[in-house]
Amino acid sequence: MKDFAVFWGCTIQARFPFLEKSTRMVLDAFKLPHRDVDGFTCCPEKSLVNNVDHAAFVLTAARNVALVDGMGLDIVSPCTGCVSNLATVKGELKANPVERTAVNGLLKAAGKEFKGNAKLTHLVPFFHDSVGVFAIKQRIKKDFSGMRLAVHYGCHMMRPSHALRNDDPLDPKKFDNLLAALGAVSLQHPTKLQCCGQGLDRVDQHDNALHMARVKLKELKSLGADGLVLCCPSCFLQFDNNQFLMEKEGEKFGIPIIYFTELLGLALGYTAEELGMNSHRVDVEPFLEKWKRSPLVAGSGTIDEALNAVVAF
Amino acid sequence: MLGAALNIKLLEMCSKCGACYSICPSCVNLPGYDPREVIQDIVAGDWEKWLLSKSIWQCLECHYCLEMCYQHYGFENAMTAMRAVATKRGIFPVQVKRGWEMFAKTGKLGEPAMPARKKMNLPAPAASGGEELKKIYALLKEKRRGQG
Repeated sequence: MKDFAVFWGCTIQARFPFLEKSTRMVLDAFKLPHRDVDGFTCCPEKSLVNNVDHAAFVLTAARNVALVDGMGLDIVSPCTGCVSNLATVKGELKANPVERTAVNGLLKAAGKEFKGNAKLTHLVPFFHDSVGVFAIKQRIKKDFSGMRLAVHYGCHMMRPSHALRNDDPLDPKKFDNLLAALGAVSLQHPTKLQCCGQGLDRVDQHDNALHMARVKLKELKSLGADGLVLCCPSCFLQFDNNQFLMEKEGEKFGIPIIYFTELLGLALGYTAEELGMNSHRVDVEPFLEKWKRSPLVAGSGTIDEALNAVVAF
Repeated sequence: MLGAALNIKLLEMCSKCGACYSICPSCVNLPGYDPREVIQDIVAGDWEKWLLSKSIWQCLECHYCLEMCYQHYGFENAMTAMRAVATKRGIFPVQVKRGWEMFAKTGKLGEPAMPARKKMNLPAPAASGGEELKKIYALLKEKRRGQG
């Protein structure tokens, strides 16, 4: 496997360092060749930067990609927005040699060149494709059999598909497959692919953001979900923080929000505390309690067993 | 100004189609949001009135419309173009302005939370490339001024 730089992005490091912690723990657990790289900036965030200055958006992303191009590394990120923005610009520059030449003219002053060789992957498709469900199953100490979990992909994990090309943009499967590998039932629900709505909080429309969170959380409550699994800091902010704010106002949903790396970390045998899950704002105890009570089912010990247990997809 | 950023021919078809309407998360959940109205006004050349509307900021840029679109165009493009014109005229939601200013100053939208990192035993964060980005962004602005 090629070495890769982890692109942490601004939000995880500024607001959710515990998500960095659990990500590092699962990357280390599988001995994946990751490293931190000096010199990254914001990816940049599309709604704040692209709306103001498209050329700045392109230049910033191109510089980040050029940085790893120069080191012969790929990028893996636990943030969907970062991957999507970087990949969008990479696609635009690969398709437009005139724009690429202009951007490289500017990057040259910093001793960099955008080539677009680096592969840009989100952590979920990365675990699915490069680690694989068999390797994951073999490492499971206790799976999530009997747990009813909902997956929220997050729009930018697979869209825009022309830039990311990692799953079906209208009917993605990889996150569901990983959940199945971890033994959980992935609940099919109408708003599964609906945008979380956190973007509305960034344009001074907090009530609309809460409304979008409410629609999804109500649905999950009525379905009796034990938790919502996601892997995007923006979606996490929307469903953990905004759910907490609504609970403070007396609207109780009680849906614990679990980051993919936390779910995987728990299955590998790390404790919730080690993974930093006590930093969530919505209580994760109901989820952990139910899991503790469920019977112990370890992962399949051999490849043959793993092959027999694999879900058809 | 808007015509240069958009393909009006495609938008004409777009205004009569609406394949993306029933899947757009804002169309489904936010009463009164209908990008088809904005697009019809863009096609008719009567779009100025939308610059002050909060509608143009309600597109979540989820790219769902892009995936549903027969032309792989989507009304997201129209909304992005409208927002670009609005910001050029200084019409921003406060948070967008604040976010942009922080980005322009530091190259980031937030700095690593140091006390929490220490508590969690996380390694020192990698160095930021903010200063270098500022330098090449200054070159871009200089180049623009030269092109007048």
